[in-house]
Amino acid sequence: MSECERAQRLSACHDGEVSEAERASLEAHLHQCPACASELARLGKLSHLLSTAPRPEMSAEALARLHRAADDMYMADLGRMAKALMAVAASILLVCAVWLWRSGASGEPIEPIPAWETAATAHEATLATASDEQLAQWIVLDLERKNGHD
Amino acid sequence: MTSESGQPQPPDATLLARACDGDRLAFRGLVDRYAHRLFAMAASLVGNRADAEDIVQETFAGAFRGLRAFEKRSSVKTWLTGILIRQAAMHRRRESRRGARLVPLAGAPEAGLHGPSPTAVVDARIDVMAAIRELSPDHREVIILREFEGLSYDQMAEVLGIPRGTVESRLFRARRQLQERLKEYLD
Repeated sequence: MSECERAQRLSACHDGEVSEAERASLEAHLHQCPACASELARLGKLSHLLSTAPRPEMSAEALARLHRAADDMYMADLGRMAKALMAVAASILLVCAVWLWRSGASGEPIEPIPAWETAATAHEATLATASDEQLAQWIVLDLERKNGHD
Repeated sequence: MTSESGQPQPPDATLLARACDGDRLAFRGLVDRYAHRLFAMAASLVGNRADAEDIVQETFAGAFRGLRAFEKRSSVKTWLTGILIRQAAMHRRRESRRGARLVPLAGAPEAGLHGPSPTAVVDARIDVMAAIRELSPDHREVIILREFEGLSYDQMAEVLGIPRGTVESRLFRARRQLQERLKEYLD
């Protein structure tokens, strides 16, 4: 088997991204294929070489700027929440105001009290204003009527 | 996980949950934990310090906006890496529209990014960084994610939004190019 056919799998094998069965198969192949054995060795050397590359480090000033930016994001978020709550409160206030205006100041005339209601409540009014003496007379008359029937 | 003072540090998931609940210091904890790693990655991708800082800042801004939407299927590291890769790609497109030179010439690293080196031209480390920067953006991404960040193929596929097989083939081709450019160190 030529190097090209298995080279890509060697790269995956180098990264530990092949199954155990494929790994065993590739290892067996390496004993028969000097080109692939050399390729695998070069992959190892390349990874080692890359690991020596300097990693740029973030300065303390840059980290401080990042902190400030993060704090600003939180403050902006709080501001947005406050605005949203204020908008909800204002909406509720507006709805209440409209409801009050429509129910209390609509300009519609007050409906007159029906005659039957006036008549029904008139007797109660008379009762309410009757003196104790009149009540006593009514009770006596009522009792006499009942005795007369008996 | 412990801090420099020996205090146990809460795991990422705890910091994330607290940050979602509006805990500013929890979000700052995530920033402290990942800023340096993300900066190194961004600087390797774009090749200069100022742009790397901007990209990291945009990455955390994106993370903040997406805090509540993060579904925790992946690790915080993978999540942040994915955001950074997208921000770096957006940066690349913006610079491309402006006609800027994205990749510094080999052997002429930007001042301040790698520090002074009296043997800059022959230093293997400089040559390595130059070789990485000569790669195409797609190839550079997979090399950085694999060799520097140690992401698995599945994680790389998730971060880059490409199939696992594409990750494997890109990595293979990127390594081939690096082997060619750095052959004097490998033979």
